[in-house]
Amino acid sequence: MYSDLIQSLPNVIAWANIAALVIGVLAGIVVGAMPGLSATMAISVLVPFTFGLEPLVALGLMAGIYNGAMYGGAIPAVLLRIPGTPAAVATTFDGYPMAQQGKGGYALQVAVVSSAFGGMASAIALMLLAPPLSRVTLLFGPAEVFWVAVFGLCSIIFLLGGNVTKGLISACFGVFVSVVGSDPIFGNDRYTFGQLELLDGIHIVILLVGLYALPPVIDLLESPLKTENSAGDRLGTEPIWRTFPQMLRFWKTWIRSALIGIWIGILPGAGGSMAAFMSYNEARRSSKTPETWGNGEPEGVAASETANNADTAAALIPALTLGIPGTAVAAIMLGGLLIHGLQPGPMLFRNNPDIVFGFMWQFLFGAILLVFLGGSLATNSFAKLLKLPRPLLGSVIIILMLIGVYSIHGRMFDVYLMLGFGAIGYVMDKLRFPLPPVVLGLILGGFAEENLRLALRIGRGNWMVLFQNVTSLILVALTVAVVVGPMVKHRLIDKKKAESKG
Amino acid sequence: MQKIFKTIALASAFLTMAGTAFAQYPEKPIKVIVGYSAGGGTDVMARTVAPFLEKYLGDGASIVVKNMPGASGQIGVTEVANADKDGYTLGTYNLPGMMARTLDRKADYDASSFSYLANVVNDPNVIVTSKSSGLDTVEKLLAEAKANPGAITVGMSSLGGDDHFLLRKLQQMTETEFTIVPFRGSAPARTALMGGHVAMGILNISEVSAFKDEINVLGVALEDRSEFAPNVPTFKEQGVDLINGSMRGFVAPADLPDDVRDTLLAAFEKLKTDKEFAAAMKATANPVQVVTGDAFEKLNADLLDFAKSVWEESPWR
Repeated sequence: MYSDLIQSLPNVIAWANIAALVIGVLAGIVVGAMPGLSATMAISVLVPFTFGLEPLVALGLMAGIYNGAMYGGAIPAVLLRIPGTPAAVATTFDGYPMAQQGKGGYALQVAVVSSAFGGMASAIALMLLAPPLSRVTLLFGPAEVFWVAVFGLCSIIFLLGGNVTKGLISACFGVFVSVVGSDPIFGNDRYTFGQLELLDGIHIVILLVGLYALPPVIDLLESPLKTENSAGDRLGTEPIWRTFPQMLRFWKTWIRSALIGIWIGILPGAGGSMAAFMSYNEARRSSKTPETWGNGEPEGVAASETANNADTAAALIPALTLGIPGTAVAAIMLGGLLIHGLQPGPMLFRNNPDIVFGFMWQFLFGAILLVFLGGSLATNSFAKLLKLPRPLLGSVIIILMLIGVYSIHGRMFDVYLMLGFGAIGYVMDKLRFPLPPVVLGLILGGFAEENLRLALRIGRGNWMVLFQNVTSLILVALTVAVVVGPMVKHRLIDKKKAESKG
Repeated sequence: MQKIFKTIALASAFLTMAGTAFAQYPEKPIKVIVGYSAGGGTDVMARTVAPFLEKYLGDGASIVVKNMPGASGQIGVTEVANADKDGYTLGTYNLPGMMARTLDRKADYDASSFSYLANVVNDPNVIVTSKSSGLDTVEKLLAEAKANPGAITVGMSSLGGDDHFLLRKLQQMTETEFTIVPFRGSAPARTALMGGHVAMGILNISEVSAFKDEINVLGVALEDRSEFAPNVPTFKEQGVDLINGSMRGFVAPADLPDDVRDTLLAAFEKLKTDKEFAAAMKATANPVQVVTGDAFEKLNADLLDFAKSVWEESPWR
């Protein structure tokens, strides 16, 4: 199969295909940078047009958009504390404090280099290891996936923030939102109040835009006449060839986060946001100075951005080999492949090697292009964003939010829902309830429920089905370790302190 | 470009004629509402059919596909039921789903809300087992199901769909009992089967033709063997008279004007013999079976009757 890989290369570098990729990456960055517009949306708008295009042109556009958007989401996350895409939530933790300290330019450079690294690692995994990695996916049945969700929830417990009670309330709110809609097994309506629009549950983008984008915009407009420049209004950008050497010290985080992103990518259903959260947490845990995290630690931006791009190509591994998309974007891409007569499955690699391997090359090239296109775009064009008068900037963002949310399903209902979440988000923000647990509760809550109930049906109601194989037991052990580990560590440290005092 | 010129030329021709002659249907673009997102199975079918329909409607007819996803297609199909009865709004239609929803949910439409134009795709069910289960014939499967009622776990997509109805038929015919595990869609069910997490799966033939080496395909629920998998025997050949599948087609609001209905039916009728169309559908994994007009309406009524009998006997929610 590796000879197929080489043979498909000349096709990929045909000018039309390269042009498609460049346009895709640029479009992806712009779409990702706009709050409310996501890669999923951009690609689903594109799909109908791809009927008339050559396969590699169509796929190049998609690969470019996917890669571009995953980085683009970091731009408003850093500059405005508004994640452009769901996967950029973890980027706000350190990216926004950096911008406030006048290091926004550096934060964006870290983001673009890390995104590119994650994207390349993921593309290489897809090219070389797709068939063996798809075997790993098969190990994860409903019981195992349930444990992944529990592990995810436990390992990111720090997201609860300083006040554990408030954090738990936020998380419960997120889980509650995940319950709305028809239940995953019988299809009974839950909290839908007879609205067909609520039957499929609440789309993550609606919640995210409402909670995350509206409160900062209101903040922005609360003091519209503020004219003096604060540190946060300057980017303080230095040329990337000068800052790049400083980033090399993140190499461990890059590799760790890329592996986490790839792993989450091959597990269907979790997606880039979980990858970013988990890798942020792991990077923080192994840092020598965890106390600087959350206050503008560039390594935090690196961790989150590497992982959410490492999720992209990896999510296509189960999509191409098994027909199960790892993310919503991969699901739409499958449709794009099907249009060109490419049916997912083990035969795909044998029947259409030119196109499939070409598509993989495009992911790799897309990631590399990100550095050039994203680097200059981020530092030059988007920097000007902050110079806009505040009323203008605020209203532009609000319009983008409305368009973005409307275009998910093309209905006003979602817009009203988003505004409702915006009101909740504003109150939560003022009362200092943390927002990340809400997003996580929504993603992992639904994920855990569905798989737990499937597993229990497989076990015909016997709970032992959750502990019946090695993969499950390993995940249980990991879960226990992340919960108990920190407690034991604290005890030991306290003991040592007590001893040294005594 | 040529097409645009053609459209402009036609449009201006119509404009000049408008005062004197009665314009013939279709004189403006026809909207086809798809109840699922762009890129999904039903969407790909609609977009593959569209150019052929344009060709057979003639006179520069143009078709615009509009996606209205949500509530398993119910939002889109309700829109079609309530649209103007002028033939400029058509919609995709899935069976048995669209009829089953009138039973298990409050629906603002029923079987009499539509003009049944054509069913285009009939994707028959198949029963598959994992390689590790050792159940590689229908005989072995039924023997095991009889010996240990409920012990065989069956992965399928959601309840109240074609997969579920096939299992109901099988259980009734053979007096067996299985444990249903309803996944969100067929692909996750198939993956769970390949990983050995469930023993048996009910899928559609288009979903297994690329996985023949990875799973056992025991039989296909069709009168005759499918060209998608000519090596797979029908259940009829194996002594169980199982016929079932997932159907996708096109409807319009009820009570279309007669001339409009006739024009549309004639265009769909021509799909039956179009080789190019058959090839395009095969490339997108859509097994074609074109059934038009009254025959389609009867098909719908039969499926509704069966769904009702299942619902009354053992409601699935």
